[in-house]
Amino acid sequence: MLPNNEVRLPPPRAARAAQSAAVPCDITTQFTEAASKLKTGQLVKDELFTLFEAVGALEIMDSKMDSGYIAPGENHVQALEDDYDVRQPLTPKQVVGLMDQLLCHEMAWHMGHPLSQTLFTSIYLDKLLWPVPKTMEDARFDRVPSESPLISLVLRAYCLALVKACDFVHARIVTEYYYEEEDFVSQLYNRNLLSGLDPSHFFRLLDQAVEWVDSQETMDQDLRDALRCRLLLRHEFLSALDEDLEVLDTRSTDNFVSCLSTLSGITETVAHGTPVPEAFSLKIQRRLASTVPPRPIVHISPEDALAHLKRLCQDAIDMQQMLDYKGPSNFKTAIWSLLSRKPQPSVYIRCLLQALIVSDMTILGAVPVKQFLYDDLAELVLPSSVLLQANTDEVELPSDPRFQIAQKMEGFVKRFSQPFVDTVRAACLNRCRIRRTVCHTVVDWDNLQMEAEELDLDLQRLSDEPPLQMKGGETTFSFPLSSWAYNQKLIQIRRIIQMGFELSIYAPEELAGMYWYLSYICSTHLGHLDRIRTFTVAARKRDLISAGDRSADSQKSAAFHRSFRTLERVTTQLIAVDAFAIALHALYVLLTRHEVLPCAAGADAYSTDRLRYELRMKPFIPISLPELVPFEEFQRESALEGDSDAIILERASKAITEARKAWDVLLSQGAFLEEAGSGSGSGSAGGKEFPSAIEEDWKRDVKDAMRACIGASISIETVRKALGNNPSPSAQQPLNLEVTIPEIGSKSRWHEWWVVPQVSEKKNQ
Amino acid sequence: METGHAVQYLEGLLGRSLRVHTTDSRMFVGIFKCTDAERNLILANSLEYRFPTPSAVETAAKELESWDNASEAAKATVKVNMTSRLIGLIVIPGRHITKIELE
Repeated sequence: MLPNNEVRLPPPRAARAAQSAAVPCDITTQFTEAASKLKTGQLVKDELFTLFEAVGALEIMDSKMDSGYIAPGENHVQALEDDYDVRQPLTPKQVVGLMDQLLCHEMAWHMGHPLSQTLFTSIYLDKLLWPVPKTMEDARFDRVPSESPLISLVLRAYCLALVKACDFVHARIVTEYYYEEEDFVSQLYNRNLLSGLDPSHFFRLLDQAVEWVDSQETMDQDLRDALRCRLLLRHEFLSALDEDLEVLDTRSTDNFVSCLSTLSGITETVAHGTPVPEAFSLKIQRRLASTVPPRPIVHISPEDALAHLKRLCQDAIDMQQMLDYKGPSNFKTAIWSLLSRKPQPSVYIRCLLQALIVSDMTILGAVPVKQFLYDDLAELVLPSSVLLQANTDEVELPSDPRFQIAQKMEGFVKRFSQPFVDTVRAACLNRCRIRRTVCHTVVDWDNLQMEAEELDLDLQRLSDEPPLQMKGGETTFSFPLSSWAYNQKLIQIRRIIQMGFELSIYAPEELAGMYWYLSYICSTHLGHLDRIRTFTVAARKRDLISAGDRSADSQKSAAFHRSFRTLERVTTQLIAVDAFAIALHALYVLLTRHEVLPCAAGADAYSTDRLRYELRMKPFIPISLPELVPFEEFQRESALEGDSDAIILERASKAITEARKAWDVLLSQGAFLEEAGSGSGSGSAGGKEFPSAIEEDWKRDVKDAMRACIGASISIETVRKALGNNPSPSAQQPLNLEVTIPEIGSKSRWHEWWVVPQVSEKKNQ
Repeated sequence: METGHAVQYLEGLLGRSLRVHTTDSRMFVGIFKCTDAERNLILANSLEYRFPTPSAVETAAKELESWDNASEAAKATVKVNMTSRLIGLIVIPGRHITKIELE
């Protein structure tokens, strides 16, 4: 993916113009005369140039748009160059202050602000980076270095290591999938972040600086410590970033751990620094190659900057716990849990994780994508199946069905690997983009499911699969690949709805309908899992009957065991979600029915229930299965037409009790599926522990959902009480209830995916 | 010049590289994309050129001095490139234009 506002540099014009000094000819008069002949509003324009593009043009001589604009009366020299002398002596306090200011700007850049409004407003950095230094020696503040080593050594080492750290961050982010200007601004304004210089130089310089600071016996001890820990941070942070993907081999968290330990020292000494605001200037924007209007300097507080860096380090440390592959479902759970942390891990972490998840068609640098795909199939639909075991290496006779199966499966792998890995990788995008991306991929998966179905038919013939008699009497086949694809699709549909709650997409009046739809998807999914289970049970039975070889059987039974446990876990999770959704649906129906629910749309709003439903179902319209629920049916079902208040109340209470139990069971099952003995379906050797920090995230998430369950039962009880006091509410005598929908981030919104209304009795006026 | 002629002339310039000088002594070089009756100009892929600041001239002069201590004449004609930067798609309002050149 190309960064979308990449500035493509035309060839250096200065040089070209100089050569072909083919005297430019003055056409002012002709041009002016010709232009004056045009009618007002008449344009002469390039055919391919659209007015839409023209809107994006920067207006020269407009102070708001033209970054090079110098107001009349403003001194040209002063407007372009700052009076600030980079050689002026600074006190240690000022140097500490400067370092912290720079760190704030660095973190602001990490948070997604452009360099032009952050680091590139620093006069010191500007001097270091322009003209572009070719060697380490070139990268200095002035041609004649300051006599004070505090500046020429300590501050310079800090600045250089900072720039190099930015270089590593920039390089990692721009090679991965991210959204320009949403997650990160990659623009470098034709400057270079010292990418050509080897990191070893920077480490050496930092060591020298630390040595110098240590030798300053006359300097105040607090300030020496403050300088020291800042230099150490640069050292450790640079090593950590330098490690990048090598972490797959080193498996070391040392650098990030040391970063964290220096951070506490920095936090304690922030107060010792004196900021030097004069050392930062917006005027530098007048000299940066930039296609955007001038914009103000971004200021973030040292507390926020340090908190951001601390989280980055902690996320990086925790991420390393999941580098051991422990089967597909565990891998997916770990990734989703880590990336669902609040606040979401920074863009650098998300990009690093993308590269770790898959590069060169290898998962976590160890498992080929094909293996990952096969493991997932084995876990869900095909434990110990000939379809996954067949390969063309062992059977070379083209007429042999096993050879043909292997060929068919090769085709499947080619087609499905990328989309499958992408379903995992999508979690690395920012939250809004995850939902948007899934809305698109869910349609692809609908097509994939159909393709898989055709493959299933071929494979069923080749593997001579015996049909199964269903309850209704008709016979049917397992369709493993398309079952698996359908499962993927149902997960995605559920995610779209749930992230809709997280992203506050739905209005209060839509919540009843959306929770109804969520439960509808869950029950469809549960039915599908039942079907899969039926076929796995049958396969296991066949297996046991024909079992001859004992040694192979233990492996087989482990594979089946793992598959059954996976199905059980997914089922538990779905039951929990389903029950909770049913309860909230019923609760919202009651609140809507008695008109106590706040409403986002005004009385004369254009929107109607039908239009809103159409809008919400838009991603699902092209999908063939599950079929779209027609609006009339949706309206009838989601409003629980014909059910009395008492029945609905009963439904809510029952469901919420069931939900609480189910979430409890889910919690007791834990985040990860443990390896049952040896020789399970996956190719990994097991070994290390499960990622405990990520397991904590997962547990916290489940506990939050349980808290939301409790909140919902309280709300249901409050409604029951109000209905008991006023069994036949009417327009004259409405229910004496006050309902608020807790916003995301507020304390009473226990879980992003569960919008539990707060219902309370109205105070008597 | 008639309107038809005028349009033809201007259309002939589309896609060519123009140098446009503005009232604040800057110069912009870019591909001519669009104009109107008020002589507002739209240039694509533009570079902004600015005369070097006195301090830059001074630095260059010093540099030259340190390289060769030659004649006074050489020192008098220090050559300093105009500073340039890419600013992309721009519109220059006609009232700020002092001179238009064709490259």
